Amino acid sequence: MSKTILVVDDSASLRQVVGIALKQAGYTVVEAVDGKDALSKLDGRKLNLIISDVNMPNMDGISFVKAAKQLPAYKFTPVIMLTTEAEESKKMEGKAAGVRAWVVKPFQPPILLDAVAKLILP
Amino acid sequence: MDLQEARGTLIEEARELLDAMENALLQVESGGDINDAVNAAFRAAHTIKGSAGLFGLDSIVAFTHTSESVLDRVRAGELLIDDHLVTLLLDCRDYIGQLIDAVESGTEDTDPDPTERASLLDQLNNYLGHPHASMGVAATVQADPLERDGDALNVGNHYWHLSLRFTPDVLRNGMDPLSFLRYLGRLGEIVYIYTLTDSVPAAAEMDAEICYLGFEVEFASEADKATIEGVFDFVRDESTIRILPPRSRVEDYIDLIRNLPESPRRLGEILLACGSITQAELDEILALQAGEAAGQPLGTLLVEQRVVHAPVVAAALSTQKQVQEKKGAEQKFIKVEAGKLDQLITLVGELVIAGAATRLLASRSADLAMLETTAHLGTLVESIRDSALDLRMVQIKEIFDRFPRVVRDVSKELGKKIELHVHGGDAELDKSMVDKLTDPLMHVVRNAIDHGIEMPDEREQVDKPAHGSIWLNAYHESGSIVVEIRDDGRGLNRERIRAKAVERGLINADAQLSDEEIWQLIFEPGFSTAEKVTNLSGRGVGMDVVKRNIQELRGDVELSSKQGHGTTLRIRLPLTLAIIDGFQVMVGESVFVIPLELVVECADLGSHDILHDIVNLRGQPLSFIRLRQLFEMPPPPAGTRESLVVVQYGQARAGLVVDKLLGEVQAVIKPLGQLFRHARVIAGSTILGDGRVALILDIAQLIHHTTHDRTTTLPNPGR
Amino acid sequence: MPLRSENDGPQGTLHIEGEFNIYQADQLKPLLLAELSAMENITVDLAQVEEIDTAGIQLLLMLKQEAARQQKAISFINHSKPVLEVFELCNLGGHFGDPMIFTRP
Repeated sequence: MSKTILVVDDSASLRQVVGIALKQAGYTVVEAVDGKDALSKLDGRKLNLIISDVNMPNMDGISFVKAAKQLPAYKFTPVIMLTTEAEESKKMEGKAAGVRAWVVKPFQPPILLDAVAKLILP
Repeated sequence: MDLQEARGTLIEEARELLDAMENALLQVESGGDINDAVNAAFRAAHTIKGSAGLFGLDSIVAFTHTSESVLDRVRAGELLIDDHLVTLLLDCRDYIGQLIDAVESGTEDTDPDPTERASLLDQLNNYLGHPHASMGVAATVQADPLERDGDALNVGNHYWHLSLRFTPDVLRNGMDPLSFLRYLGRLGEIVYIYTLTDSVPAAAEMDAEICYLGFEVEFASEADKATIEGVFDFVRDESTIRILPPRSRVEDYIDLIRNLPESPRRLGEILLACGSITQAELDEILALQAGEAAGQPLGTLLVEQRVVHAPVVAAALSTQKQVQEKKGAEQKFIKVEAGKLDQLITLVGELVIAGAATRLLASRSADLAMLETTAHLGTLVESIRDSALDLRMVQIKEIFDRFPRVVRDVSKELGKKIELHVHGGDAELDKSMVDKLTDPLMHVVRNAIDHGIEMPDEREQVDKPAHGSIWLNAYHESGSIVVEIRDDGRGLNRERIRAKAVERGLINADAQLSDEEIWQLIFEPGFSTAEKVTNLSGRGVGMDVVKRNIQELRGDVELSSKQGHGTTLRIRLPLTLAIIDGFQVMVGESVFVIPLELVVECADLGSHDILHDIVNLRGQPLSFIRLRQLFEMPPPPAGTRESLVVVQYGQARAGLVVDKLLGEVQAVIKPLGQLFRHARVIAGSTILGDGRVALILDIAQLIHHTTHDRTTTLPNPGR
Repeated sequence: MPLRSENDGPQGTLHIEGEFNIYQADQLKPLLLAELSAMENITVDLAQVEEIDTAGIQLLLMLKQEAARQQKAISFINHSKPVLEVFELCNLGGHFGDPMIFTRP
């Protein structure tokens, strides 16, 4: 049974590339365009990992993760946040929300795949 | 889906983001919410950088990074955004656009404009001061024990030794230490692992969500230390992760033992069990360790405790309001390649023709059930046609959105003050028209700025506000879309146009012309009244080109102007280019199609009074033209009862006289062949159900022809 | 609930089923302890464990420890594939000291 990853980013091309890379690596991918959309995807389905952008319209990544961690089914779901060096304060906030894994944008797919593999192998 | 497709998405997305960035920057200038605008611009640059990075487009990443950094400084309140910076950022936006174009054409390896890039980066860096000096944490010097002096006492172990004590919260944070161990398997081989269960408390005290396990790992790997350390990147800050390279020094083991929670003896046993050290080595280590514990300084360099990266807290951001963006609507849309839509429309066109053929056959067969089915089929085909055409409809906003920037740039260049008012951006029209309408519209707006709006002082002299205004308006009117460009500038100068036209030999010096006729002169090829040729509208692309472009879209241009008060230009276009509801008429053996929405009424010509080419229609005179005459077809057989079709385009009406009315038809417009290239009253052709070709009449031209120029005849279209 | 028990005189069998990880750990801990105290000697059947993580291992360790404290015999049987994988990864077989055989292919 392949592991499922929720990818949350407002950039369609990022979702596409990340999606392709993850699928090729053997994961199942669910996409969401922003925090709000992502929350709607937390419908009880099993997720092994969440990859989320920080800066997004409608609901940013930190608020989304905070909300997700309130849900029993996703309380312990590992999260990789995509961030930039310019978002140190966001990192603090994310840490408070339970985020430990960060991947700095811009990145190329192998970097992200590597980070993912450290948390869950396919 | 493959990466090539994703590249297409990247390009499209980047262009949307660049538009968003432009809008945001213009908003800064127009005095909108600056925080919101700067955030939006930052986000746009940021997302482009992120996406480009995925594709390894380093040139874009590097450049957007610098632009983004400047925006970030603005966001943080460290930099004030002024007109000059807005202009610079707009230029950067344009340059990024060029980089994206290069990606599209596959030439991203060559910089599209190295001079521009260098100049922009120079300016950006000026805003950043010394860009990189203040960034980053002081480099951590990680002394690698292996590289140190060889006379120290080394253990004989060939493997890496990893001591892992995870933070108690590691599980709660969603990370399972086991996954790191599994990942290690990718870098090498776990030779031996000892799981420390010592810390698991008695059942009563145990918190099931806390991690109590520790691991001592003997690891065979060719990987370097940084790579192995990297495995624990996500937990390193809070956990105790010690990594000893092969053949580490005894001191390093002592240090290890000292820094782990378990007792030295216990650790010694584990290390022994792991095979990290031999009994003899352990004895020595324990002895040394005991000595040190007794107060004797070890006097050796120990691997420094890992530098904890103190997070650099960015300057306090002003509390960002949650920007409510329409972007959330994105999920309701599916992006479809334009080519696929075109293909669909083509197929629907074929379906319409095939449907018409079937209906024709059915009516010949006089089979009632068959007729009923085909009628039903016909209705369905019609709905499919409408839905398919609707898919191609886009909001004219897509064009209008480009104008704030144009107005800004051009007015700045000319030293004019101009406000742009946009209305009706949600009016829809065919996507293919949007693409073709952009250039003419751009030209008209530039003209309005350049020739229409006066300089501020000139305006004040005539008691006008120093700020000129340009209105862009779009609305639907009887099957057409009307785009109106209005300005409150100086208006057209009747006398000057007239003089110019005489000088160019376009009219006779004594010609009596109405205002309307005068205005039409500016659409004549090569006509230009600007006294000063600027680099904006004086490039030789005249209003004639605008008019021709619009006519190619089966539309027309109408102009009204009042000297001193401004000019209004109306572009009227059909809603779609592909399929129309038509009205079929017959002249001799030829079938013509008139766009249905332009047909006002039909009448029997014989029952009305006729004088020359004017018919008295319920007391109103109406000019008419015989299509037979227009197309130089032989006279009708005696006893033909001619019919009159009254058509209206815009405000003008005219009558068309035909032999026979055939009724409504869906006409799939096919491009005209070379033969009719010069037949201006023909808009296109269509294929009828029985396979014959019918010509679609260009009513705008016909009305013009009927009311103005009655001397020309046209070649017989025949078959 | 992923716990099922059969109490056959002094000898009880506890079946742990499905996911046995951090998500269930807090809830399972008291249940496991309750089962343990209800039984004289306990056999823990791991055949139906589909997933196990550090939290799960810790609960097994806790059971073993607590059984020893209560002077009860405990044995773990029918290790499922995921359990075997983790035991192997952490080299815990010796610690538990139970014979491990592949119960499922």
